Parts: sequence; structure tokens; C-alpha cells
Amino acid sequence: MFPASDRGFSRRDTALFAGCMLLAVTALFTPDRITLAIATGLRQTVLAPLVWLQEQAEAGRGSRARLKSLLAERDSAAFAAQFLPSLTAENERLRALLGLSHRLRTPYVAAEVLHQAQVTDARMLLLSVGQADGVASFDPIVAPEGLIGVIWNAGQHTSVAMTWAHPEFRVSAFTANGSAYGIVAASPNATGSDAYLEFRGVPYRDSVVAGTVVLSSGLGGVYPKGIPIGTVMGVIREEAGWARVYRVRPAANPASTGHVLVLIGRRVGSVGEAFSSDTLEPSPRSDSVKVERRPRPAPPRATVPVPPARPKADSAAKAAPESTVRARPDSTPRPPRRPRAPPDSARPDSTP
Amino acid sequence: MSARNGRVQLVAVLVTLVLLHFYVRPRLFDGRLAPDFLLFGLVIFAMRSGPGAGAVAGFLVGLATDALSPARFGAATLADTVVGYAAAWGRAVFFADNLLVNAGFVAAGLWVRDLIMLVASGTPQGQLLLELGVYSPLQALTTAAAGAFVLYAFRQWFAVRLDA
Repeated sequence: MFPASDRGFSRRDTALFAGCMLLAVTALFTPDRITLAIATGLRQTVLAPLVWLQEQAEAGRGSRARLKSLLAERDSAAFAAQFLPSLTAENERLRALLGLSHRLRTPYVAAEVLHQAQVTDARMLLLSVGQADGVASFDPIVAPEGLIGVIWNAGQHTSVAMTWAHPEFRVSAFTANGSAYGIVAASPNATGSDAYLEFRGVPYRDSVVAGTVVLSSGLGGVYPKGIPIGTVMGVIREEAGWARVYRVRPAANPASTGHVLVLIGRRVGSVGEAFSSDTLEPSPRSDSVKVERRPRPAPPRATVPVPPARPKADSAAKAAPESTVRARPDSTPRPPRRPRAPPDSARPDSTP
Repeated sequence: MSARNGRVQLVAVLVTLVLLHFYVRPRLFDGRLAPDFLLFGLVIFAMRSGPGAGAVAGFLVGLATDALSPARFGAATLADTVVGYAAAWGRAVFFADNLLVNAGFVAAGLWVRDLIMLVASGTPQGQLLLELGVYSPLQALTTAAAGAFVLYAFRQWFAVRLDA
């Protein structure tokens, strides 16, 4: 039997409490660089068995339901893949006509979200992949519905992700119709289930109608262009008489997401390159590129052609939604490269 | 039964709670309202070990929490230290061997933990009010219910009274 203690308070108890409080407050004001190292160290040592345990639980949970869903998706993908060769050829032909570069290839790794019981769970997520899987800090994280966030700190086998719900989260964005650019951030006035984002810095002349889809613009080099962020719901306020702030309903919900993709491909290094990479193409899984990833190679700038002029925003916007409907290469093998499309189209050089 | 046996029993229950938290909870519960077995373990440990040990246990549990989900590193450490100390202090005021009192301690501890965590991690006011007004009380209820079930299962070990 181990009843509730009847021991009185002592100086030792008070000293222990004061010491713990002092250390906790010190941790609160310690720079991120140090605290991240401590957190990573703890996750890789003392907490490693517990993280492993939770990974097993998350992986096992709902595996039967996920199998059914995967089978359905595979069937759909296999059906869609029947039209892939002709679509690819047509796409290449049209891109050549428009003078656009090839799409970016963005490899990814799949990760389980290890949700914690804390009240701040949706702001920072623990993911079951780390540096050993090719993940590094500032890799973007997406769910099937859209953008989730970015890797904040990558450990050896786990990573901590900052989601869009974090007060410090920012992503450069533009509307799907290409009419407005701005910065998307979490709203300071959002309340739990009513969490929403703000599309800030949109000039007065660029009005955005409700229902417009907002995508990542690729500027800044962290997030590839074309990831759905959310849908505009209306104007929240006006800033200093020159810009509007719009309310955006997020596309993906970090609190209820159990499975995400971490985009581990090379990031666009400059604004010029960002504009050249106007769309995304089907991405290879990380296991096919993991070897290339360590150490992360510098962006091969010479291989990314920079167009002479900025492509039309609407062309990027039209192509962007494709990026959300990617087929996994391991389920749909890439067809052998076909020769140029027959001269049955409107190419000027092919007309007799 | 000796104090040594009592400690072994307490450790056995705490290990069970850790397993429940990291293996059973992700399989059975979803979302924000899942019971927090770590906090329940902290409260029952603190109530049976004294304020100093409770504070140290809270510090360690908070450190682990911060390492797993660092919204603001140190926020959970601070919150759990306060909860551990306060739980040990509270048992001197209330009848800590009653099942409902134990469950009440757990619920109050979780709400206070959330309050300190949200404030220390700089949560916007609107979200803070909703969390403290809706989600935290609900999670406190689920945690208290799960805790009451565990205490009932181990009532012989913890010398818990079932009468009101």
C-alpha cells in the first residue's frame, strides 16, 4: 500500500522547487540554438524508446482503413496513368511553345505525425523522419490537402515541424488566378477550431474575391511554387491605407493530420530561379534520391535555365493545381521517354 | 506492506502510465481531447512523494514534453514543475486518499498546466480563451476519468477510498 504522503514541507522541498523553477525560466529565455540542441539530444537518447513506441502505435493505428484507401487510390492512379504518356508529350510540346522550363523535380519522404497531448500540439508537430531519411531544417511539409508547415529542427530519426498555426510562420503566396501576391501568416485573433490564416500585404489595386485559392509563390526559396495554402474567405482589415488583409481558410489541418510528406528536394536558390520553376512535376520518392541528398548538394544553378522574361502569372496559376495531384512514381512507373510528339499540332516549325 | 513495496508498486503504475501514454493513447484516442496519462502520473506521484520530489518530477516530465513538442522550450517544464509542486501541496489541504479528490486534482492540474503553457508560449488571446474555456476542461475531464479508472484498478496499492 502506498498512501498519499503525510510528510510536511521542508526547506529542502522549497529549495528543490525554487531550483526547478529557476531552471525552467532559464530554459524559457535560452536561445533557440541551444534549446533545439537539448531537445534533439533528449529525443535521440532518453526519449528514443518512447518515440519509437509511439511510432509503432501510430503506424499500427488504422492500418486496415489506410490499406483500403490506398488500394482505391492506386486503382485511380493506375487508371489516370493510362493517359499519362500522351499528356506528358502534350505538356512538353506546349511548354516548349510557351518557352517555359521543365518542371521542378521535388523528391519527398512520407512521415507519421506523432501527436502529443499538449495544448500547443498543433503548432509544433513531431514527425517520425529525420536526417537519416534525408530531412533537413526548412524542408516544406505538405498533406494531400495542402501546406502543413516547415521542418524546424531535424534530429537523426525524428524532426520537429512548425505548422502554419505557429505565430512565427510565414509563407510567400499568390492567388491561383495570379492577380495578387502577399504573405500568409497565422492570424493572431484565430480561436482554436476557428483557426484561420491571414493573406497580408495585398495592394488595394489587387482585389481578391472570396473563394480564390491561395498558393505558395516559391519566393524565398523555402516552399516550392504551387502548394495550396487555403481559400480566401473575405477581407479582415486594411493596413495603413495601402493594402488589405484577407482571411484565408487553411487547406490542411495540422491537428488532425496523421500522415504528411516532407519535400526534401533542392530548394530554389534565387528569385530568378524561383520564377523559372513555375510548376512541379511528379516526384520521385526519397529512397531513389537519398544517396544524392547526403550531403545536400548545392543547387546546380547551371542546369536550371533562367528564362529571359518573367512568365505570365496565369500560366503558372493554371498549371499549379496539377501539383496537388501527383502520382507516386513507385506505383506508376515512369514510361520510357517518348520521341517528340508527331507534328499534328500547331507548332509553327512543324507545319508544312 | 513495507514502504519499499509501496515504492515498487508506484513505479509499476508509473511505467504502465508511460506505456498507456505513448502506445495505447495514439491507437485509441484522436485529437486534442485524448487523456494525458503523463500528467496523471505526475500528479499521483507528487501527491505521494512530497513537494520537492513533485517539483523535480514535474521538471523532468516537462522537459520531456518540451523535447517532444517544443512550442516554446521551457513552457511545459515551467508548467509541470508548478503542477507537481502544487499537487503535493494540495494533498495537505484536501483528503488525498479519496478517489474523487484524486480525479479532481488531476483535472485541475491539467487545466493549470495548460494555462501556464499557453501564456508562457505566447498564445494569442482569442485562442487562449477558447482553449482554456472549452478544450482544456474537456481534456481535463477525459484525463480525470481515465485517472479514476486507473486508481480504481489499483485501489489496493494506492489505499484509495471509494466513499464520497
